[in-house]
Amino acid sequence: MQGDSYPENAFELFGEIIQWVEDYLAHSADSLRVELQLLYLNTSSIKAMMDIFDLLEDAHVKGCAVSVKWHYDKRNERLAELAEEFKEDCTFPFLIASHE
Amino acid sequence: MNKTHGVIKRQHLALEERIQALLAEFADSPSDLSEALAQLWQHYGEQLARLERITRLSDAYQSLAREQDNGLVVRFEKQLRQLQKVARISDRYQKMMVELNLALKEASTHDPLTGLPNRRLLMERLKGEVERASRDRKPFVLAIVDVDHFKQVNDTYGHEAGDAVLQKVAHFMKSQMREYDVCGRWGGEEFLALLPESTLDSALGVIGRIWQGIPDHSMDVGGRAVSITVSVGVAEHRAGEQWEDTLQRADALLLKAKREGRNRALSQ
Repeated sequence: MQGDSYPENAFELFGEIIQWVEDYLAHSADSLRVELQLLYLNTSSIKAMMDIFDLLEDAHVKGCAVSVKWHYDKRNERLAELAEEFKEDCTFPFLIASHE
Repeated sequence: MNKTHGVIKRQHLALEERIQALLAEFADSPSDLSEALAQLWQHYGEQLARLERITRLSDAYQSLAREQDNGLVVRFEKQLRQLQKVARISDRYQKMMVELNLALKEASTHDPLTGLPNRRLLMERLKGEVERASRDRKPFVLAIVDVDHFKQVNDTYGHEAGDAVLQKVAHFMKSQMREYDVCGRWGGEEFLALLPESTLDSALGVIGRIWQGIPDHSMDVGGRAVSITVSVGVAEHRAGEQWEDTLQRADALLLKAKREGRNRALSQ
């Protein structure tokens, strides 16, 4: 996933994604790699992302090989700090990588 | 308390034993009385069992409710933690946006090479200055400073040297002006000095220092001394004039200074 996210109703946008992640992890999955390059997120989008990370965390605890790679533009270090905030409670591999 | 309890229980037990003994004794020769007692005894036993079942159920419900309460507390605390985190992250995003907006505003109003106000901001300030001048009846002075033979500097020493010259001119001009004066880059090698609440007489000191100081301030560009001069056109705002008019008069004087051989400041 990449880009800005500030929809009025973030659940409409993220609901399907969250559902997909939930279904995927519940049934077929033995691994899931999430690649992110997110810029601005409004409050409800932040909540949705945290829900996704919670699902990943649960799957990780159950032995599923989940990982996140969060890409950010080197010129905006603040995005890396924000990624760190998301990473805080996650015990699965969570890489924050800068790009030129 | 326990003691009383024990006594009651013992009496209770003694009564039960006595009734059981009586029922056994009359088992072979039943009477109305003994049959009634047997029925009562059975009813008593059933009631006791029922009471025990109710107590057990009630206890089970209580512990279930307690567990649910605990579950709610745990869930509530988790939600609260998540909410706090969302708020914290959201605040940081907002802060980032504010900072980016400021940077954007700075970028849209300032010249990246010299860091001076750009043409857009200068026009805004000129408009404001005209309004203030007509309100307070205090004129302002406008000077256009143009680097002489700038093209030659670029051609001879390269564009990087040209950029360095512009940076040095900008820095020097700013150093000669007051805090509330505005020094900006109008475009190319053209700079604008806006001196609020000034007349030609009071402004000429500053303008003179700029014009004379720049050649003295021989530019050391990449180890080479580049000597440059500037031409200046200066005009004082007249009552009722738009900023474009004042600027045009200053520009005409600049042109005249160029024609007369450059390296001079002309005012009107």
